[in-house]
Amino acid sequence: MRTRIFSVLCENVAGVMMRVSRCFTRRQINMDSITVGIEPSGLARIIILFKADDKMASFMQRVLMRLEPIVEVQMLEPENSVAREICLFKTRKLGEEEMSEVIRFIQSAGGKVLEIREGSLIGEIGGSHEEVERLLSSLGTERLKEVARSGQVYLSRNNRE
Amino acid sequence: MEEMTGAAALLSALKSEGVRHIFGIPGGAIIPVYDALYEEPSIRHILVRHEQAAAHAADGYARALGKPGVCMATSGPGACNLLTGILNAYMDSSPVIAITGQVPTHLLGTDAFQEADLLSLMLPITKHNFLVKSVEELVEAVRRAFQIAMAGRPGPVHIDLPRDVQVAKARVKIPAEITRREKVRYDPDPLRVEEAVKLIEGAERPVIFAGGGVIWSGASPELVELAELLGAPVVTSLMGKGSIPENHPLSLGMLGMHGRRAANLAVTECDLLIGVGVRFSDRSTGDARHFAPKAKIIHIDIDPVEIGKLVRTDVSVVGDAKRTLAMILRLLKERARRGVRSEWRERIMQMKREFSPKMDYDDIPLKPQRVIKEIMEVLDEDSVVVTEVGQCQMWAAHYYTAPGPRKFISSGGLGTMGFGFPASLGVKVALPEKKVVDVAGDGSFLMNSQELATAVENNIQVVCCIFNNSYLGMVKQWQDLFYGGRRSQTYLGKSPDFVRLAEAYGAWGDRVTRPGEMREKLKEALKCGKPAVLDVVIDPEEHVLPMVPAGGKLDQMIVGD
Repeated sequence: MRTRIFSVLCENVAGVMMRVSRCFTRRQINMDSITVGIEPSGLARIIILFKADDKMASFMQRVLMRLEPIVEVQMLEPENSVAREICLFKTRKLGEEEMSEVIRFIQSAGGKVLEIREGSLIGEIGGSHEEVERLLSSLGTERLKEVARSGQVYLSRNNRE
Repeated sequence: MEEMTGAAALLSALKSEGVRHIFGIPGGAIIPVYDALYEEPSIRHILVRHEQAAAHAADGYARALGKPGVCMATSGPGACNLLTGILNAYMDSSPVIAITGQVPTHLLGTDAFQEADLLSLMLPITKHNFLVKSVEELVEAVRRAFQIAMAGRPGPVHIDLPRDVQVAKARVKIPAEITRREKVRYDPDPLRVEEAVKLIEGAERPVIFAGGGVIWSGASPELVELAELLGAPVVTSLMGKGSIPENHPLSLGMLGMHGRRAANLAVTECDLLIGVGVRFSDRSTGDARHFAPKAKIIHIDIDPVEIGKLVRTDVSVVGDAKRTLAMILRLLKERARRGVRSEWRERIMQMKREFSPKMDYDDIPLKPQRVIKEIMEVLDEDSVVVTEVGQCQMWAAHYYTAPGPRKFISSGGLGTMGFGFPASLGVKVALPEKKVVDVAGDGSFLMNSQELATAVENNIQVVCCIFNNSYLGMVKQWQDLFYGGRRSQTYLGKSPDFVRLAEAYGAWGDRVTRPGEMREKLKEALKCGKPAVLDVVIDPEEHVLPMVPAGGKLDQMIVGD
């Protein structure tokens, strides 16, 4: 079992996320991440991460292809794709000293401070899943009040037309 | 372009798909469609008494004709009553189009009266489903529904139609009537076919395992030709029963839990298994790890999802069964090797002789085997046998010799008790000139016996033969074999009197208790000019044997006499 990455191109119609996600639920597979966005063509691209062996991964690819609104299901490999995740986070009210420490952490991790209001900071980090994880763990659960993550998006490096 | 209401557009679109029959029941949320139907002479609506029966009847209709059957119901409870029938069609790959009324779009999601979230409920049990929001969308949805239902592996499609869309008016273009839609054929990859042919050429003991896909693809002639060319016996799944005429010397009958011994042994001994249009269900294979243990396996199926799902395959070919078999035949004929496997053929014939099923019992109470034998003596090559689910079904599957494709119709994947009788009504509506017999059990029949009213009111002359043992027989059999004979909640008792029940509905009823009687009374029933019920009193102690216990090996059967 290893992490699989599906890039699913589909019609942007009501219910398509349910059609896709139930295929996983029904086979007792927990998705680690699912994201969706609309392409300029008007089609939607869903990126799904889940753990499965080779047989199950290939099976799931065929299961998804059978759905009516699905146009294409690519199985991406991490080495042939670019990965990003965006994370927004809000801290609890911090003292001055702690605040400057937090800002240091954020800046050294390549993140951004978006705003500071009444001693609470809202920041942003974008990067690989690991980079996001690293910053969040260095900030620590004590300081963080709320975290919103985009989930992981992957784009294939493949250039074929 | 013509301005019309959603209801009128629906009927026009259905007519353009060649729909002549709809099975259904009206209700509040679909009255506008029924109102349009009131003055529509070219579509015959058969009013059933429970929506589940509408779905089964449309399913039976589809399986008999090889084209979509249509059922219709109102929102909420009406639509929910369809669900079992739609799932049944999905499991057995039957193209049923379900159309339901829905609460008006502005009330969707408000728990309105008779509202059910049908987009969600139908989604996992259909090939695709639509919630239609405008008249324009409706016309497009109907066109796509019929395409989807028949494309590739067939299956049900649902259209949910809010009430306001039924009454809304719009200018729409209804496509001209499609008189004959050619099935889209999926060609196999020639390289894979070549690999398959290599395995076939090298095989000494080939067996062909044919499923429902052969029937849906119309590949029976190619199947028989391949069997004859190779001298290879053909075993079938329940869905594939009749894909080869079962009186053919190379037919070994059904495989699996209640399959023929010769079929199960042939699969165990073969060195090559060619699966065509099958999904290797657990009821066919027993323990998948020990299935066809000496064989290489070729799997031909139109649905890529089925490849490698349950059994290992050495060569898989995704494609239409008819096209694929034709391509295999063409390649094989170009090569030297023909059906020279005389040793294997001799072994097959020996198994067939040794394990030919015994049916000539004279016992009272009647043995079901004897009853099936007498049914076969009355029916002809064109007749259709439909079954309920349970012991009656497996006796029919085991003993009845299906004369060809679409002549044996049964609920396989879902095993839905209550399927047979309404399905037989659908078959008879589709094929009014043919004799249609439902092989039923007393338990199954009661699950949709209200359809006697449908049969009588619409004069649909099927004969329902109830194999009456006063038990939920198949559960009782498992209790006898695997639960120390503790018959928990399986005795159904003596109620009702099925003859009087039939008569109460205005159908013809009679009882069969002695050997020889079935033959005479079935002939009478088929001629009586009414729907008929034969209450056939059978031995309650009789089991369906042989039997491979669930998950067991195919050559390790519990056998009878």
